[in-house]
Amino acid sequence: MSLLAVEHVDTGYGPVAVNRDVSLAVGQNDEIVTILGPNGAGKTTLLRSIAGLVKPRRGTVTFDGRDVTVLHADEKAALGVVMVPEGRHVFADMSVRENLLLGAYCRKDRDAIEADIALMENYFTILAKKRGAKAGTLSGGQQQMLAIARGLMARPRILLLDEPSLGLSPLLVSELQGIIIDVREKFHAAVLLVEQNAGLALSVAEEGYLMNSGRIVASGSIDELKQSSVMQELYLGKRAQQNHGASPASL
Amino acid sequence: MDIFVQQLVNSLSVASVTILIGIGITLIFGLAGIVNFAHGEFLMVGGMATWFMAGAGMNFFVALVFAGLLVGALGFAAERCLFRFTLNRPMNGFIMSIGLSVILQHAVIRVFNEFQKSITDPVGLVWTIGGVDIIAMRAIVVAITVVIVAITYFGISRSRYGMALRASVSDRDTAELMGIPVRRYVTGVFIYGSLLAGIGGALMISLFPITPFTGSVIIIRGFAVSLIGGLGNVGGAVVGGLVLGLVDGLSAGYGYPEWTDAYSLVVMILILVLRPQGLLGGTLGPKAS
Repeated sequence: MSLLAVEHVDTGYGPVAVNRDVSLAVGQNDEIVTILGPNGAGKTTLLRSIAGLVKPRRGTVTFDGRDVTVLHADEKAALGVVMVPEGRHVFADMSVRENLLLGAYCRKDRDAIEADIALMENYFTILAKKRGAKAGTLSGGQQQMLAIARGLMARPRILLLDEPSLGLSPLLVSELQGIIIDVREKFHAAVLLVEQNAGLALSVAEEGYLMNSGRIVASGSIDELKQSSVMQELYLGKRAQQNHGASPASL
Repeated sequence: MDIFVQQLVNSLSVASVTILIGIGITLIFGLAGIVNFAHGEFLMVGGMATWFMAGAGMNFFVALVFAGLLVGALGFAAERCLFRFTLNRPMNGFIMSIGLSVILQHAVIRVFNEFQKSITDPVGLVWTIGGVDIIAMRAIVVAITVVIVAITYFGISRSRYGMALRASVSDRDTAELMGIPVRRYVTGVFIYGSLLAGIGGALMISLFPITPFTGSVIIIRGFAVSLIGGLGNVGGAVVGGLVLGLVDGLSAGYGYPEWTDAYSLVVMILILVLRPQGLLGGTLGPKAS
């Protein structure tokens, strides 16, 4: 059984349909799964519907064997499905420490929360230096670190990361790579990573889904995905070639 | 000098009522994006309830508590039955609140009548402090308001709930992603703001007579106060209330009392021209999602 299963989900805003018949799964063993795709492919909307900010129009979202399709975002967060939104969205007028505390809003174990703040400050050292600073005064990269740390403060079972590399310098992107792997290694959460930066996504994830125009167009292990003709077409601009020998499993 | 101090206490007691209603308006707007036009009627209902209970022989301060609870319950009902359906379309909520204000006015006229109501001074004392005579009830109104403002301010700036409330005001979606039940906070803020309006109504009728139409006058002042300080900013509502109360009281004492409303609104316009975000800076309401 998967930790998170999305089955035949349609999403949209008003008259605009975004996702159509999307199915995906994240396994039990703290997998890192990525959803790749060009701008406007519907990745963020899909993630928002998994997190509970958008209600799916059709289909189901199952988390840990429980149907969570219609739950609100705060209820899903309490279950351990925590999304780090695109563009960071830190609480700009509040201090770094307050942002971290808010990440732990659902938790009642006060001592453990303090211990986790220390853990975050130890891991993201910049947060210790900026503890009392307003989050809005941090640089873009620092805000991204804070947003991820805030998400981890909830002790999530799965962290949904929406375009974490957006606006980061190449140096920070390579740092992010290590952080995403550590989400699993050190903080024991699965990761569902939405990215436009295919290099980053392919280097950390084990499984991947390729999305275009609101649909999943390819999926499989990262190696399978790299070989797929759709992937090559979308990302490398190559025409699909005669060689279909390495087509992905569920294309 | 004596007159000045008396005018100051008078101004502060008037400012108190305005501050209480301003806090409610500012909190509800900050979180729900709703400009609740019926908030003035909530205050009026609180005043009328106090008049009724005091007339039935109840102690004023007990009546004040009941008026607060009654109007708090009214706010709860209004949010659950009406405003929660307009959360994503605040303009609809605004229009609905105008309707609600008319309904409340006429409900009160139907239950009682359209004439002005007053109660006798519940304390009936004059304190002489440093040679200055001060009506005790006015000082008590100021003291009660100071306590409420302090509780509200520290609740918002220090408590866990206050922190979650501020987060919800600044970014509703992200607050929900952190597990904060924003919808429950909206309900809570409606109840709390309405409770303050109920208490404000009770305090107001201890100072002046009120009519079923008092709400529509006081709401203008409430908005002026919230705008002067910065909508969504509780400290701002307090500063705005003080500014307006002082302009009011002093102009009534020294200038042309019939122009007091004009003075206050001119002050509001000047402040908003010079500092559109208000004195302490407000929010623009919840971001549309």
